[in-house]
Amino acid sequence: MPAISCQGLTKHYGSLVALDNLALTIEDKVIFGFLGPNGAGKTTALKIFTGLSRPTSGSAWVAGEAVVSHSRSLQSQIGYLPEEPAFYNWMTAKEYLTFVGQLFGLSSRDIKKRCGELLELVDLSRDASRRVSGYSRGMRQRLGIAQALMNKPAVLFLDEPCSALDPLGRAEVLDTLVRLKEQATTIFMSSHILADVERVCDTVGIIDRGRLVVESGVEELRQRFAHPLFEIEFEEAATPFVGLLESLPWVEKVNAAAEGNLFKLRVSVRDVATAKVEIPRMIAGSGFTLRQYQMVLPTLEEVFIELVGNRKD
Amino acid sequence: MSSFFVLFRKEFKGQLKTYRFLIVVALFFVFGLGTPLLLKYLHALVPAENVAIGIPEFTAVDAVQSYISSLGQLGLVAAILVAMGSVASERESGTAAMTLSKPVGCGSFIVAKLAALAVTFGVAIAVGAAGCYLYTVVLFGNPGGFDFFIATLLGALYLLFCLAVTVMYSGFVRTPIVAGGLSLVTLAVIAGTAGLPGMKHYSPGALLDWADNIASAGGPNSWWVLVVSVALIIITTVIGWQVFKRKEL
Repeated sequence: MPAISCQGLTKHYGSLVALDNLALTIEDKVIFGFLGPNGAGKTTALKIFTGLSRPTSGSAWVAGEAVVSHSRSLQSQIGYLPEEPAFYNWMTAKEYLTFVGQLFGLSSRDIKKRCGELLELVDLSRDASRRVSGYSRGMRQRLGIAQALMNKPAVLFLDEPCSALDPLGRAEVLDTLVRLKEQATTIFMSSHILADVERVCDTVGIIDRGRLVVESGVEELRQRFAHPLFEIEFEEAATPFVGLLESLPWVEKVNAAAEGNLFKLRVSVRDVATAKVEIPRMIAGSGFTLRQYQMVLPTLEEVFIELVGNRKD
Repeated sequence: MSSFFVLFRKEFKGQLKTYRFLIVVALFFVFGLGTPLLLKYLHALVPAENVAIGIPEFTAVDAVQSYISSLGQLGLVAAILVAMGSVASERESGTAAMTLSKPVGCGSFIVAKLAALAVTFGVAIAVGAAGCYLYTVVLFGNPGGFDFFIATLLGALYLLFCLAVTVMYSGFVRTPIVAGGLSLVTLAVIAGTAGLPGMKHYSPGALLDWADNIASAGGPNSWWVLVVSVALIIITTVIGWQVFKRKEL
């Protein structure tokens, strides 16, 4: 049974279509990255999955439960971190986690134990007795992650979990997510930081203007949607070589740039098999001094731009 | 512990930590003490040669009636100011979404807020009433302990109604000031209806008239006002809960 699924999920805000017939199936115990430009509908989808918003039409299931607005049985199985976590500023981190534990109906003993573990996990033990009003944005984000884990959720929804964190904090959070996945938690995270998604996510979904553009494994996505690139570096200006490449039918585009004493080419091709054979042969016959030659896989960012950037009009 | 009690405890603790409890109690205490004091020394404050008409000699009944009147005016403003952001500001800041993503019912969320506000105002009214009664006894003589107690209870019920209306509007909109404005207009209209011939036996605004009558040991009991007021407190709370449940967080 999938951990999260939805069919025909649509959400209108007046004339604005925030989600348009969204269909997703996310398997158990995976980290799913939900990508899209600002206003694409990521937060709307997250709010529907967590029971905080009602879809205009369509249905969704999370952890085996049909998603119904404010469903207690659903909400007892999930954890949720909004994009900008908000707290009662008069509370300390410890008080807030205790409050959340009580809302989940945990015993005092379990709350105390869980608070200690979570504060340690998000590195807030030393600041646990300070009021949240004095916390930095990064500290608030880490407390937000801690509260989302209070009930050991089966499915964890995170809206931009690393956006306010420094590189070290980001790395720690991503490591935590991987550990949680190993402990049988399914994680649904939206993010703008594609490097983070690439690092930890098993599958991704790209959404644009409320519509799902693609849902796929990260590797599969890179293979399917981006043209392979060949990077070539010469030690002198190889302008005639660029002209030669551009005249070939299997070459799509050549970008050339001089960097110091180096002349760098990025060649995108239509026929990878031919390029693999022909480019080295052409280099050998060109007479230019080769510094480096490699075939590179596109990054997730390049795939994202390929899929979403091209749709901007 | 049920989510209602967890939320109620959080609400009440919040009122203590943000000094709202202290401020409301202090306000009611000051005007509770101040009302009989002001009446007693009004002659001294306003010399007779400065006013066109004579200031009468005030009695214990006047002191209690003046206190009831203040409860309906100053108390109403305090109730609106304290309650108007109770739900709206939580929606605006995002704390409502954080709390309601947990297994918590919207009904518990709204009722816990109203209950915590009711306790704060209940304590404040009790403290204010004790101060008023004490100074009235000292300065004017005993106004009648039981009648004063019943009149205060009716005033407290009126303020509970004001709180319920304001919490309801606070659940309707995201902006506290809009909730406050809507509450003020609604409560002003309801207070106005108490003066209408057909409505004076039913409008919650007539609770204060009844309290006034009890204080002056005259006038009939208005049991329908009591019934209608309690029913309206329940109805506004249910409407607030149901509307809030349908709101986007």
